[in-house]
Amino acid sequence: MSKNLKFLVVDDFSTMRRIVKNLLNDLGYANVVEADDGNTALPLLQAGGIDFLVTDWNMPGMPGLDLLKAVRADPKLAKMPVLMLTAEAKREQIIEAAQAGVNGYVIKPFTAITLKEKIDKILGATS
Amino acid sequence: MTNALQAEFGETITALSDALAADNEGAFYAELDALLQRRERMLFLDLRKLTGDLQSALTRFRMDSRLVDLAEKDVPDAKLRLDHVLRLTDEAAHRTLDLVEQSGPLAERTARAANDLQEPWKLFRDRKIAIEDFHRMVRNVDAFLEAASGDMDKVRENLSQVLLAQGYQDLSGQIIRGVTKLVTELEIALVDLVRLSQAGARTARQVSEETRRGFGPPIPGIKTAPAVSGQQDVDALLSGLGV
Repeated sequence: MSKNLKFLVVDDFSTMRRIVKNLLNDLGYANVVEADDGNTALPLLQAGGIDFLVTDWNMPGMPGLDLLKAVRADPKLAKMPVLMLTAEAKREQIIEAAQAGVNGYVIKPFTAITLKEKIDKILGATS
Repeated sequence: MTNALQAEFGETITALSDALAADNEGAFYAELDALLQRRERMLFLDLRKLTGDLQSALTRFRMDSRLVDLAEKDVPDAKLRLDHVLRLTDEAAHRTLDLVEQSGPLAERTARAANDLQEPWKLFRDRKIAIEDFHRMVRNVDAFLEAASGDMDKVRENLSQVLLAQGYQDLSGQIIRGVTKLVTELEIALVDLVRLSQAGARTARQVSEETRRGFGPPIPGIKTAPAVSGQQDVDALLSGLGV
């Protein structure tokens, strides 16, 4: 799997963005950019060059679910792999995310191994 | 009371009585109509006041029931939430300290072993080492390389765990934001109540809906809609949905 993929990590907490960025670096993905909610993430995605989106759900401004829907509704971004990394644990929410077209869902607190497995699974399925 | 009645109706009743005595039909009915109209007007004023009171009571009731909700459910929930934050920060601090305490001796052992090798290594480079010392050094280098590799793997793993342990900040931050929102809501409800008691009826403010925005992390002890218990649950649910 190509390690040159460019990741966008969207989370309103900068500590969590740092954690995910470091874990991605450990996994060999050195090309990681950040955004703090859907409103700042969407222009970055639309500008092009992002290969993989990792997003939180509960964020001020545009929440992750709305971001996911916006991505799926944009013909240029519709096929973007999206991994939700969130503390939102209600079954109805996970179903909602699945219906909106999420590729993977990791619940916080999470482990480095879980993150790796889900990314590998998504990349394996979409490549 | 009698005086008030006298002031209110005395004149009309006298005029009515005079008209009756004089058998003046026109004057009698005119006075009677005036009397009925006055009585109707008074009833209307009473009714308007009653309606106003009822409306104010209903508004107060709506607000009271929101305040009761806040006091009975949301405030105790907030206490549970803050207790959970305390637990999260406590666990993360201990986890981090444990990992640092585990890593310290490993780094120290590697540094000491490297240091111990410096002297025989220098003798070896200067071609001054005795043959037995050389053999001992080679054995020590073998042991050092193996130990350092294992120890540093463990240190690297511990550093990764320290990194993950900082995730508590995200979870506790979300919970604290929820409590801040509750405090704001409580403040608005109380301010509205004060305003209502001072200046009559006001409608209660609506609470914003959260479903779309997310609820934040599940808190042990707070019952909400059915939630997953961990990643395995999520995976099972998603594979059932074909993701």
